Amino acid sequence: MKILVTVKEVAEAEDDFEIDGLDIDERYLEYDLNEWDDYAVEEAVTIAEDGDDVEVVSVTIGPERAEETVRMALAKGVDRAIRVWDDDLESADMLDVGTKADILAAVVEEEDPDLVFSGVQANDDGFGATGVALAEVVDMEWGAVVNDLDLDAEGGVAHVHRELEGGVEELTDIELPAVLTIQTGINEPRYASLRGIRQAQRKPLDVQGLGDLGLDASVLESAVSRTAMFEPESESDVTVFEGGAEEEAGQLADLLRDKGVVEG
Amino acid sequence: MDYQLSDEQKQIKEEVRRFAENEIAPVAQEYDVEEKFPHEVLETAAEMGLTGANIPMEYGGAGYNALETALIVEEMFAVDPGIALSITATTFGSDAIMEFGTEEQKERYLEPVAMGEAIMGAAISEPDTGSDVSSVSTTAEKDGDEWVLNGNKMWITNGSVGDFFVVMCKTDPDAEGRYNGFSQIVVESDRDGFKSEKITGKLGIRASDTAELIFDDLRVPEENLVGTRGMGFLQLMQFFDVTRTMVAAQGVGIAKGACDRALDYAKEREQFGKPIGDFQAIQHKLADIHTRTEAARQLTYKSAWSVDNSDDQLTTLASMAKEYASRVAVDAANECVQIHGGSGFVNDFDAERLYRDAKITQIYEGTTEIQKNIIARELLGKGF
Ligand SMILES: Cc1cc2nc3c(=O)[nH]c(=O)nc-3n(C[C@H](O)[C@H](O)[C@H](O)COP(=O)(O)OP(=O)(O)OC[C@H]3O[C@@H](n4cnc5c(N)ncnc54)[C@H](O)[C@@H]3O)c2cc1C
Repeated sequence: MKILVTVKEVAEAEDDFEIDGLDIDERYLEYDLNEWDDYAVEEAVTIAEDGDDVEVVSVTIGPERAEETVRMALAKGVDRAIRVWDDDLESADMLDVGTKADILAAVVEEEDPDLVFSGVQANDDGFGATGVALAEVVDMEWGAVVNDLDLDAEGGVAHVHRELEGGVEELTDIELPAVLTIQTGINEPRYASLRGIRQAQRKPLDVQGLGDLGLDASVLESAVSRTAMFEPESESDVTVFEGGAEEEAGQLADLLRDKGVVEG
Repeated sequence: MDYQLSDEQKQIKEEVRRFAENEIAPVAQEYDVEEKFPHEVLETAAEMGLTGANIPMEYGGAGYNALETALIVEEMFAVDPGIALSITATTFGSDAIMEFGTEEQKERYLEPVAMGEAIMGAAISEPDTGSDVSSVSTTAEKDGDEWVLNGNKMWITNGSVGDFFVVMCKTDPDAEGRYNGFSQIVVESDRDGFKSEKITGKLGIRASDTAELIFDDLRVPEENLVGTRGMGFLQLMQFFDVTRTMVAAQGVGIAKGACDRALDYAKEREQFGKPIGDFQAIQHKLADIHTRTEAARQLTYKSAWSVDNSDDQLTTLASMAKEYASRVAVDAANECVQIHGGSGFVNDFDAERLYRDAKITQIYEGTTEIQKNIIARELLGKGF
């Protein structure tokens, strides 16, 4: 059995930052593994530890800097990794969901996994679409926002809980091969162990360009472009209630009714 | 010369820091106030392999060398020295077993420690034996195929929580020469005749366990002897350079923790209508402690590098690093409290705890005065 985990190195901005053109100024950014992907890696590695003969491969689309993040996944137990990058990708203005899905689809074709895990979303651009878009391109079954997974590898079925709005969960059986987008909280991601970090330095990390995947620069064409970046003005408004506890509670109730938070 | 850490070293630092911020920081104050040993934190630390950083891979450790181990120590001590010591000191005394132990001893003692299933310690100091290690009076007499130990050990880290200790004792009182006639013997805490009494009321590193050990006709099998009979003191001397380098790393960590907290507070706290970090008096304090911390760090890294690469400069460097880094830790923690003003005087902030914790680095593993004696001795070319 093979599990492919898509991981992304995301940019996190400091509390105070400046915008430079179409992006946040590089000086205010720090890079880290996308939080959701940490859970996806953990889920895959746990399955590998509990099962026989499970290979976990992670794939990322990103520059050399992203290798630090990928090595962390290797240190946590991923067997090998693929990083997709080349000059064309480097010079692209932005990679939209469709582009990423096409690139990852080429990797899926090459690797032929039984399961693909992605994070529900990335905490930088927050499209929340790459996993399901990938399922569409490779024509696999899929389940989004999975917060519980019970895998029947022999039967080829994933019994999943999907988190819906308002605290409701959907229980679904999904046939493999499938793409599951993993929600935070599904497990408790481990720390990379010191032994793991040591061993990760010797695990294979393959760099592939678009050409290696049978693609070319046309995959970068996109109908979506970023036109502007701005920081919304934050407004604040303070109401101070005065009086005894009962009076204050009454004033708060009036306000909530007024704002339409509660009815009646 | 290469002043860059490798990618692997950066990853170690980053992940250890993440562990310390998530698992140690939130409970540091509680363990300090209650003066209790952090068994729960230790369990998570063991899963990450922090208890066996320097133990060879074949015995379940990560097999990291002195420089990587120093980085781990630094990151953890920057967050909380008491819990950090509780984690890093679970391997105290293991050097002797790694270097001089038999295969059987390595498997028996190193593996459980690396896995976090056992805690060990090194018992050298006694009520009347501190700086002068050669005055050890705990005895071990051979009786058939057993050693019989009698004596008291004082200030022993992990004394009341440890499973076994490498004990320095006198086996051959008639041996000639001040440094001969001592041996290192492993004593398990579940033997008859073993007693420990936890020492409470410590100024700092209060999460770390310290105890007095009492051996009363305590018997261990002869195979508990580590290395060569009569050579215990000389065996021990070999590791002082390493253990001192690690205390230097502790000092760098504490200094770094103090620097970070001082800087944060100086940016936040406002007086006279502006952040106190705008006042030159505060700026100079910050500049000074950051500069000296970086200097202590470089000295410590060089000492750690020398452990692995250059023996002949090691002894001097290790004592220089230990003495300087511990002094910088105390000074930086002092300035950190000063910058915090009244808030630095209570335990709502970490400044107060770091201030108390810093002091131990000038005392254990050879006091500041002893380090200076060693540096001077090496300079003047006198033997010990
Ligand atoms: C929290 C804690 C944990 C410890 N953990 C351990 C442990 O795990 N194992 C262990 O074996 N020990 C441990 N120790 C003991 C520690 O190593 C000793 O306290 C230390 O070596 C100093 O010895 P002493 O306390 O007897 O002081 P002393 O040797 O009595 O020193 C008192 C003062 O005299 C000075 N002095 C002594 N000799 C000289 C000299 N020749 N020249 C100039 N000045 C001198 C010292 O520098 C010091 O200022 C621990 C101590 C503490 C407080």
